Amino acid sequence: MKKHHNNPDSCTACTVCIAHCPVTAATNQFRGPKMVGPALERMRLSQEDVEPSLEYCSNCKNCDMSCPSGVPISTLNMLARAKLFKTRKHSKRDYILSHGEQAAKLAAMMPFGAALANMGMDMSRGILKMIGISDKAPLPPYARASFIKQFKALRQQSYPDKVVFYPGCFINYNDPKVGMDFVAVMQANQYEVIVESDLVCCGSPLVVNGFLDEAEANAKINIQILKKWTDQGIPVITCCTSCGLMLKQEYQELFHIEGVEEYAKHLYDAGEFLLELYDKGRLNTNFGTLNEQYMYHAPCHLRAQGMGLPGLELLELIPGLEVKDVDAGCCGISGNYGFKDDKYDIAMKIGAPLFAKLKESGLSTTISECGTCRLQIAHGAQVKTLHPMTVVRKAYEKYGK
Amino acid sequence: MQKATVVVIGGGITGVGVLRDLCMRGVDAILIEQQDLAYGTSSRFHGLLHSGGRYAVKDEEAGRECIEENAILRKIGKHCVEETEGFFVRTLLDDESFEPKWLAACAKVGIPAIPITVAEARRLEPNLSAKIQSVYRVPDAAIDGFRMVWQNVASARTYGGRLMTYTTVIGIEQSNNQVVGIKVRNTLTGEISNISCDFIVSATGSWSGQIAALAGITVNVQPDRGTLIAFNHRITSRVINRLRPSADGDIFVPNGSITILGTTSSAVKNPEDNIPSTKEVVGLLNIGEAVFEDLKSYRMLRAYAGTRPLYSADPNAKGRGASRGFVTLDHADDGLTGFISVVGGKFTTYRLMAEKVTDLVCQYLNVKTACRSAFESLVDDPSPELMARARGCFPSYGADLAASRLGATGLEKVVERMQEQPEKRQLVCECENVTLAEVEEAAADQTSFMLSDVRRKTRMGMGTCQGAFCTFRSVGAVDANGLAWGQDTKTLFQEFLQGRYKGIRPILWGNVIREMELSRGIYEGTLNINGVINHATK
Amino acid sequence: MVAAAVAAKNGKRVTLLTLGAGTLTIGGGIIDVLGYGDEGVPLATPRAGLLEVGPEHPYKKIGPVAIEESLRFFKEICAAEGYPYLGSLDEMQWVPTAAGTFKPTCLIPKTMDTTQLNSATNVVVLGFEELKDFYPHLITKNFKNIPGFQDKNYEMVMIDPGLADGRDVTALDVARWLDTPEGLQDCIKQMSTRLKPDSVVIIPPVLGTRPDYVIADSLAQALSCTFVETAAVPPSITGFRLRTMLLSYVKKLGVRIVEQAAVARSIVENGKCTAVVTDGIDRERTYYAKAFILANGGFYGGGLVAEPGHAQEPIFKLPVAAPEDHELWANPNLFSNKPQPFAKIGVAVDETMRPLDENGKVVLTNVFVAGRNLQGYDFCFEKSGNGVALASGYQAAMSMDREIK
Repeated sequence: MKKHHNNPDSCTACTVCIAHCPVTAATNQFRGPKMVGPALERMRLSQEDVEPSLEYCSNCKNCDMSCPSGVPISTLNMLARAKLFKTRKHSKRDYILSHGEQAAKLAAMMPFGAALANMGMDMSRGILKMIGISDKAPLPPYARASFIKQFKALRQQSYPDKVVFYPGCFINYNDPKVGMDFVAVMQANQYEVIVESDLVCCGSPLVVNGFLDEAEANAKINIQILKKWTDQGIPVITCCTSCGLMLKQEYQELFHIEGVEEYAKHLYDAGEFLLELYDKGRLNTNFGTLNEQYMYHAPCHLRAQGMGLPGLELLELIPGLEVKDVDAGCCGISGNYGFKDDKYDIAMKIGAPLFAKLKESGLSTTISECGTCRLQIAHGAQVKTLHPMTVVRKAYEKYGK
Repeated sequence: MQKATVVVIGGGITGVGVLRDLCMRGVDAILIEQQDLAYGTSSRFHGLLHSGGRYAVKDEEAGRECIEENAILRKIGKHCVEETEGFFVRTLLDDESFEPKWLAACAKVGIPAIPITVAEARRLEPNLSAKIQSVYRVPDAAIDGFRMVWQNVASARTYGGRLMTYTTVIGIEQSNNQVVGIKVRNTLTGEISNISCDFIVSATGSWSGQIAALAGITVNVQPDRGTLIAFNHRITSRVINRLRPSADGDIFVPNGSITILGTTSSAVKNPEDNIPSTKEVVGLLNIGEAVFEDLKSYRMLRAYAGTRPLYSADPNAKGRGASRGFVTLDHADDGLTGFISVVGGKFTTYRLMAEKVTDLVCQYLNVKTACRSAFESLVDDPSPELMARARGCFPSYGADLAASRLGATGLEKVVERMQEQPEKRQLVCECENVTLAEVEEAAADQTSFMLSDVRRKTRMGMGTCQGAFCTFRSVGAVDANGLAWGQDTKTLFQEFLQGRYKGIRPILWGNVIREMELSRGIYEGTLNINGVINHATK
Repeated sequence: MVAAAVAAKNGKRVTLLTLGAGTLTIGGGIIDVLGYGDEGVPLATPRAGLLEVGPEHPYKKIGPVAIEESLRFFKEICAAEGYPYLGSLDEMQWVPTAAGTFKPTCLIPKTMDTTQLNSATNVVVLGFEELKDFYPHLITKNFKNIPGFQDKNYEMVMIDPGLADGRDVTALDVARWLDTPEGLQDCIKQMSTRLKPDSVVIIPPVLGTRPDYVIADSLAQALSCTFVETAAVPPSITGFRLRTMLLSYVKKLGVRIVEQAAVARSIVENGKCTAVVTDGIDRERTYYAKAFILANGGFYGGGLVAEPGHAQEPIFKLPVAAPEDHELWANPNLFSNKPQPFAKIGVAVDETMRPLDENGKVVLTNVFVAGRNLQGYDFCFEKSGNGVALASGYQAAMSMDREIK
């Protein structure tokens, strides 16, 4: 899978991607991944035109995963979208949804900024709907203190073994507890966690709305900072699967940045990293018994990374813990797709079988590595959600009690 | 019995050009073609509208003719021509000393050859190898052979031109050393009939010798076979020529959504010799790699071969040595009045060839009307209003393609069909963006007798999947339309798929063999179109 | 998936590495065991055909007992998942296709049972508005040319699934329409005004996307008609159902599935494979196991790679015999009464399904090969695709169980 050609050459028009695309199943307005991606790409190389249903692709990667020919279908769609916006203005809606980091930073700068911003968001759902952000979608509130702020206030134990943590915007501004849980878990394994506050948004929300140049600028910044560490062999860990996919895969598929292949070798998902420690006998297995039952949802962007479901496997090591994979496909939100007013219903329709299965299970909490998946699941299935790191930390803390 | 003043034999570009010119000058003419239009060389060439750069050194006159006709065709056939411009590229493997000779020859003939840096060339065409040494820009363009043939016919039809396809000439009738008619056989039905005429023009390319022999006359046309490869996507948006003395595999031409690499050269006896060999294909790939390093990883679509009709009065001159210029042979010199053969030449100069032939015929017929074929467009442009309606009906990336193919009149019919019956906006061919409405129009044309005829008019089945899906859809459409030739659907399936297979068989590896397995899986495995059905009722 | 299921049932810890979702939604969900013999002569029964296969054929290596067992195993899966298939080696099922032909197969979902169709005097051919790849007129016309079907009366009926406002419609879209309660009710309503009770109705494969007969039974009951689905072009709904069913079964057995896993090479020591390595866009990952089953397809799936004049198996570098003269790979005609040479190219195995070298010696003692990458059969010509996949997958896993301790 090393060399991603940005051409549709291997496509055999087999329709397998159509069969597995969740958006195709949910709306007949989308002409399907095969048509919008590789088929029209051949036309795009020689003609100027616009495919109206290009905006329906959610970049969930199910098409890429199902393709027997290795065609990077969703990448073709994202690149086509970027090309489209070279000659077209972005909507305010797309701008806001893609630049969440900027808004969050602003909010973080003011005293009580987060609380005010949250209030503002609640009150202005009607206004937001007018510019195209759904008033029903689960827009995430800001946390009172960002992860970076909390991390700086923490006194970590220093260890010779280190990892760099890339929190990403969601964990940093909306769900910092996950980041703190991760740090605690690493500490329990005698790792010191390094956090670089100059890291910027991975760019995933920018790419899906066609802000490719900005995403590339972000990529260059992130790679430059992270390479300092990966060049020394120090791994970079993510707890958000969309950030992980972006940093190690989409940076290679979308851009041509020097050194990116080398740096990608050192990028890990948190669950994946801990499992590798386990394989080496290095993992702290002093887990307390958690007699608890959970459902687990595998984010599409995790499945797309070709490492199976490490979070789920890691949780199997915790005694007493029962975690069942709901195995019900895409939750529908795919980043900021489900926040859009005209895509909200599609997103909910996509996630409907998942929500139904979760409700049926009778279990009150679902575990998942992806922040927006957690939002969507909480919204659609009315269950609580957790990140695997939270559960692992709990098991460590329970040990001996 | 059918009658015409002039019978034009040969439905290639020269033949249809002659038909058009004659009709434009008010001469009653009918064209006879043994298969579907453009069956011979005109559908099997490179698709290159020559700047003339290739001929400048060895054949000055041919080079000059090219550059002049190049400009004319861009005007009258602008929907058939893509203004791609071209590069001449010298690689490490090419003889440095040829470059100055070539530049001098171009200057002499009047072909602009502008130097650019390798870096700039690679900025414009990123797939070019980093190892190329020098690059020049020339006014090459790409031409769609099928489309140009069909648009000449469309133009001729507006002037009363007639044609009969799948009709082969089996005899030339004469009386007192004067042509009086021809005897023909319909190759689909076997029916034999006569057409009376005062004049015969043979524009039969590689078959010129065979046709002339029907009148006992010798014409020395030496068919020379060339194999070409079509690649799945636009490797380059410009024509790329090798800057070296003409040899195999010199040229890449973008052609709509695909790229064509060619060609080879070998003398053959049979003008029908159009099956490429794997050896030729591998040879072309090895040569082309010097220009595009990743060439062997690019997806091929098919390989095809055609014969160049090389004429020489000297029966022993072969291959690239023989002139590519053309000759008009008035067979009155051989004792038969009313019979002209036009031989040699190349696609780019067809209009000029047709003009010269028509001038000669008109001289005999005492027709004084001047030739206007260089001034009048082949088809009318669709009006902005029609295009707006078309864009409302066609799926994305479809309207302009169809407009180029069909011209105003044809497009109007298709758009009407789509507006009356919106379900006809469905795509039959998803790879090349061809709608059901257009397929139905093409299928209903009086020159369509099989699916491949529809293909040649629309590009259906000429894209990535090479008919894996559109075969089934077009059989269904033809059947649903109750067309006379659509009765035996098994034959429809087999004819079309076998036609595609012919070009796939020589390149059956990589992604091509995968596509073939998919096609076989669908038509043999799932639909069982070929199997004996021994269905015993329980 | 069958191999994984068998291995898991035999108590093994199974990891399934896959790149792509498999080709079941292309090829379809019926199990072709063997339909035609040499020269394209239709076989009386699959069992009769099995007796005649040549020594190179995978069925010869697998053996009749294991083939029979594999079908029985498959039917167990179907029963467990609530989606029973019909058929046996002693009966050839001729099922209708969207081209108006019939094709010979062995195991079928009950929605393709033609018992009623064969004896019916009146047949309805039912299509859906806007549906692209199904032409009732074509089917009707061609049925009339088939012995035993010439004298039936045919009527064409069209149902409107209300999909005119969107993209081109496939059978998958119609099937998903019927998946919804509203769609099903709407369809029943339209059908009740157009279909007489006791009709036999030919339809495209649209009776829902789930591996069960809920929709088929609902329609049959509501209208008192027999519905017969045809085989059709991709996306194949019967294949979709089959895939869903098999996935559900293997997951219940605890098979671990890793998607987007591009296995690139193997690590071999002393004639045994110790691990396979996937080449991700980030880095390699190594999977250790005691045994390996290679079921990654032929040329289409990527299990075999073709170049001019030779073919290779890229992961284990198993020997693959192919003509050096590429002109010998394919017949001059696409369709004929002979199989295609290139379709038969693959890896040679012995009765244990282990790969052999040119001298007939086992190359790797703990690697087992199943599916299209096997040498010696043209599944399109003889109609044996899913049958070989099923039987070889079964036998590979059973053999592995016997050979590897």
